[in-house]
Amino acid sequence: MSVDSIHDATLRAADARARADARLLGAIDDLFLPDDARLTERTRLMVVRLLHDTIGAIEAELRQRAARLLTATGAVAAAGALLSGPGAVARLTAAGLLRDEACVEALVARVRHREIADALPVAREGPEEMSLLVRLAAVPDRVVASAARALLAADSAEAAVLPATVRQRLIWAVAAAIRPATADMATDRAIAEAAARSLSVDGEDEGLDGAAMRLAAAIDARREELTPLLLEALGDRRLALFVAVLAQAAGLDYAQAEAMVLEPEGERLWLLLRAVALDRPTIARIALALSDADPRRDIEAFAERLDMIAAVDPARALAALTPDTLVPAFRHAIRALARTERM
Amino acid sequence: MSAPGSPTGLVAHALVDRAGLLLAADPALASLNARAGGDIGAAVAVPQLATVARLARRLDIPVSRGVTVADEDADLELWVRAEPDGDAVRLAVSGWRETPAWRPATAVGSGMDAAFRWEADPSARLTFVTLEGAMAVGLDAAGLLGQPLTSLLVPEDAGPLADALAGRRAFSDRPARLRGSGRGVWLSAVVHRDGAGAFIGWRGTVRLADTAPAPTEPALPATFTGGLDRALRAPLTRIVANADSMSAAADGPIPPAYADYAADIAGAGRHLLALIDDLVDLQAIERPDFALAVERIDLADVARRAAGLLGVRASERGVTVERPNAGVAVSASGDFRRALQVVVNLLGNAIRYSPPGGTVMLAARVEGARALVTVVDEGPGIAPADQARIFEKFGRVDPGEEGGNGLGLYIARRLARAMGGDLTVESAPGAGARFTLALGPAPDGRA
Repeated sequence: MSVDSIHDATLRAADARARADARLLGAIDDLFLPDDARLTERTRLMVVRLLHDTIGAIEAELRQRAARLLTATGAVAAAGALLSGPGAVARLTAAGLLRDEACVEALVARVRHREIADALPVAREGPEEMSLLVRLAAVPDRVVASAARALLAADSAEAAVLPATVRQRLIWAVAAAIRPATADMATDRAIAEAAARSLSVDGEDEGLDGAAMRLAAAIDARREELTPLLLEALGDRRLALFVAVLAQAAGLDYAQAEAMVLEPEGERLWLLLRAVALDRPTIARIALALSDADPRRDIEAFAERLDMIAAVDPARALAALTPDTLVPAFRHAIRALARTERM
Repeated sequence: MSAPGSPTGLVAHALVDRAGLLLAADPALASLNARAGGDIGAAVAVPQLATVARLARRLDIPVSRGVTVADEDADLELWVRAEPDGDAVRLAVSGWRETPAWRPATAVGSGMDAAFRWEADPSARLTFVTLEGAMAVGLDAAGLLGQPLTSLLVPEDAGPLADALAGRRAFSDRPARLRGSGRGVWLSAVVHRDGAGAFIGWRGTVRLADTAPAPTEPALPATFTGGLDRALRAPLTRIVANADSMSAAADGPIPPAYADYAADIAGAGRHLLALIDDLVDLQAIERPDFALAVERIDLADVARRAAGLLGVRASERGVTVERPNAGVAVSASGDFRRALQVVVNLLGNAIRYSPPGGTVMLAARVEGARALVTVVDEGPGIAPADQARIFEKFGRVDPGEEGGNGLGLYIARRLARAMGGDLTVESAPGAGARFTLALGPAPDGRA
């Protein structure tokens, strides 16, 4: 046996040892993962697909744009290298850069939102043939009509749009991942310029949340209009509008209200519904529709507590939600600190 | 026979008191509850019904829910609406169908070769369009949302499409032209219903006309169907057997959702096996030289045997089948095996669409020069407009129907005609259906 092959075998053995250790740690994590923290196979698949699609789209855009810029300056070889490099998803995953809290939170929220919206029981109130958004898209008030059309379009879009802050982080991560090890200054500049262009056009697509918030603001439901609007939005399976109307009424941002609506425990949602002074039957109907759409929810336990929930004073409910109404950076810092202190 | 796939029209009512005791119930509910060991004045014995009633009482709002109830050997699918009324809860239970065979995903639903997919609300206005696909054929898809379906395209034959839209029915491969580009397309849609069976809109596809419509005549050589039969039957049987044992958790506990998936896999496998049988039949009857050896047969005997074959299924559904008396003989000319196949198909449909407790009349008689078998049911009937369609290949009133594959009646009529006879239907909505298999007199002239 040559020295080289002994060296090679030693390296391989070390590598195998490291992988065995990683497998063991993975098995321990998997075994002791609490059931309610575990994603279902379907959710996991959808989250992975959304992540790959999003990164794939960003990657294709950056590579092509940067390659065009390089080609224009005559750097054809560098452009070719950029177009043929290894995929960004594998590189970013291996580096652990996708284990990003805000990114995973947004991805899971998008997938859960779609799952629940698709499973909501359709309920038509009264003899009206036209569905809620179709009707709103045809009202004379142009602000309402245009927002309703935008929401119809956003709900039809096959790829969910992640929040701008998350996309911005992903754009720079992908830019780093497609950068060849041998990148010269021209290549770096081209990638940076391509990324800057992606960032600047990014604000143009308001996404599902933006369109829903615009519509909720345009409707600006009065207290007495809130109950029928919320119930009809749920019955029409327009979960984004339901979230946005609640957020608008309670003065939260969309993501905060969405997190409360998607949580299976519902504890924060009940407070939110009381904070906007919804009555017992309305809270019961919302809880029933959500539990029909989401098997993780326990409607029997909710029924047990409904009387107590309905008796909560709206001002107290709002006060109890205060930690959720703080600016996101402050909330994230509080959450991170609480998590460290629990350990 | 009803519009295929629709639940029976029966709505049974009951009243449950504050403590969950059954105060009163219509016969269908009372007997379902009695078979589960309950009685009037005692606690509701069907657990799923008791749960819905209790939930409605505790939430103090109406609760509507689809439930599957084990009823002796069969599973019944019910739609339960529980409405609090003072201290009591009123139950209205509809549906009443056996857990359906696995439902094939319709071509419209997946639309692999579709240019784009769309959905519309009951006013036929677009609520969803796959934007990328629509833009690829030059449509301003986002601008079309909220607009009537007809703002998207101009039908080549407006009548049938307008009829289908007004009648809230499915339609398939209606020719049309896209507004703007004028491109020829095929438009198809299935009906979308909620759990209680109420109409909530359409889901459809648009295919470019350059992609030819689904071929109407199969160009399959006998060797192909024969090969298909041999190649698929063994693996499918194995899939069904394995899925059944997974569904029964034979190798250890699995999450209930996965047991359900396995049951779906087994159901889908059985559906495919039945489809292979039908395709082999279809291939045979569509050959130009297809002929049946016609001999003297006894149609009353055929009817009695068909009733015997489906006796278990009928009693599971609580349906009584009245068959010709043992002494009766009605001679006809036909092929015994094929005539039995036709009558079993008719009787199977009649049982499937009969309300629980209903009766299916199976009679054989001679009328003029012809020998007849009639199958009469008490189902909701078939609209005149649909009566021709049910005999078409893959012709179904509701393409979303579970079980069946739209070939049964097509094959049955072709077989009847190949024996020199015919298969016809008379029906009116709400008045049941009467299918008649008519064959010529026995070869020796004696009736």
